[in-house]
Amino acid sequence: MQNHLGGEIARVRVNRSRLHLLRTGQAATNPAAVAFYNYPRSLRRIGTSKAKHQSSVVSPELKLHGRARHFVERPTALVATMLLTKPHASLAVSSSPLPKNGPIANRIAPLAPSASRRRGGLRVAAASVTEAQPSQSATPPAAAADAAAALSRVDVLSEALPFIQRFKGKTVVVKYGGAAMKSPALQASVIRDLVLLSCVGVRPVLVHGGGPEINSWLARVGVEPQFRNGLRVTDAVTMEVVEMVLVGKVNKQLVSLISLSGATAVGLCGKDARLLTARPSPDAASLGFVGEVSRVDPTVLHPIISSGHIPVIATVAADQTGQAYNINADTAAGEIAAAVGAEKLLLLTDVSGILADRDDPGSLVKEVDVAGVRRMVAEGKVGGGMIPKVECCVRAIAQGVRTASIIDGRVPHSLLLELLTDQGTGTMITG
Amino acid sequence: LRCLWLVSGYLPESEFYKIEAILRYNVQIGLGVMQGLLELGIRGVTVSDVRGFGSQGGSTERHEGSEFSEDTFITKVKMEIVVCKEQVEAVVDKIIEKARTGEIGDGKIFLIPVSDVIRIRTGERGKQAERMTGGLSDRLSSVVSIS
Repeated sequence: MQNHLGGEIARVRVNRSRLHLLRTGQAATNPAAVAFYNYPRSLRRIGTSKAKHQSSVVSPELKLHGRARHFVERPTALVATMLLTKPHASLAVSSSPLPKNGPIANRIAPLAPSASRRRGGLRVAAASVTEAQPSQSATPPAAAADAAAALSRVDVLSEALPFIQRFKGKTVVVKYGGAAMKSPALQASVIRDLVLLSCVGVRPVLVHGGGPEINSWLARVGVEPQFRNGLRVTDAVTMEVVEMVLVGKVNKQLVSLISLSGATAVGLCGKDARLLTARPSPDAASLGFVGEVSRVDPTVLHPIISSGHIPVIATVAADQTGQAYNINADTAAGEIAAAVGAEKLLLLTDVSGILADRDDPGSLVKEVDVAGVRRMVAEGKVGGGMIPKVECCVRAIAQGVRTASIIDGRVPHSLLLELLTDQGTGTMITG
Repeated sequence: LRCLWLVSGYLPESEFYKIEAILRYNVQIGLGVMQGLLELGIRGVTVSDVRGFGSQGGSTERHEGSEFSEDTFITKVKMEIVVCKEQVEAVVDKIIEKARTGEIGDGKIFLIPVSDVIRIRTGERGKQAERMTGGLSDRLSSVVSIS
């Protein structure tokens, strides 16, 4: 059905007794439409007598004109389901390595049956566009489900208050990489979480690694990647491509995604304002232009953060002579956290954290102090790939960062889970 | 059991020793050390902000993200505690337990023999002056009095 502007609208019969909403299927496929329903309730009218037989403008692309108003009947349950069912669908899936999230899932789980009931009601209604008699049985439980959903949502928000207060005004450095960078859904989730944190008063700083982009671009340029003992050799040409991809593509892509989500970001690399100064790492002779952080000058970050922007840092830096080096993003994130006096360092990884027993995914170590984690490394409980991350966390804590966490980037909203809940996710290393 | 405490073995022998700990400038670690000492019963500590370096063999210390070696002084915290010779080991172990991170720059502890301790308010000298009510001496002596 089209209106006079040529846009797609759905004629919605808004009637208090029939909580019945037609969608053109945009809700499932159009994230802009979902965002549209995030408008506060004060901007929505719910089924007044005037609203009878009013046509509702469902598509957010259409401009409001004249007396066209958004009369949206009872969107709260739908919003709640859209905001909450996605995370807990995956929470239900990845249940075993995350025993801590049990309580959260349990709290939100009661929504799921009512949500699906609601969804079922919608689908029925969407199918029967021409005849407008919805199932009456959907109405009373749907109303109860709305109230429960809304209450649950504000309950969760209220419980996050002590954590928001603890982190308000504090800087948090997030190192972003791994699976969270490859999957668009997880990427959107991380970006959204960053924007949320920025809105509640936490000051996030995003440090990112390379991801698979480097390999694909090396292939496009026609450079064969060389490996030595499993590590890539970064010769001069590779270094050029790495710098272009990290600083030019990945960095700006993240900046743009943050902008689309409503916050503002500034993309920097280590070379900007001498944020990072590199020196060749001890095995640079064999691995090429791989560097370590020799100096951090966080002066440029202070005006950016205090203006309310999110710095996004690519860990390519120059040494004293201007030669570019690629620095491991984990170590660079740790040193940046130490330099800005961050409250917390978060490393997003592809594992659920440090496991006390490598064969038992349920034996996640949730909190450990520096002495304990050193003991675990000495005993060999920490896997090979985790050791550099653990070392970087310990270094950051020694230099003044309050806590450092290694969290599972494959879990949606892992940032919020770690910062704003008691249970957290992954392993937290304290001083 | 009392005899174990008498064997401190430090030279020159003295009734009291000053424990001078130079630690890294980390508020969390400092608070941890203080809490540990309070748990132990140490009721008197002097803290000062100092600067220093102490790198060994070309290795560099990381301070606020940057590497430093011999050419620059870095901020450190100095803690001075004067205790009886029986309490020295316990205090030293506690400081190490709380302040160790394993990274370069954790600091050093110096033991200096002290000839006498005098309380200004009352003029007491010696063990009476060093003793603090509710402190480690009281705890140790209460343990002894049972036997």
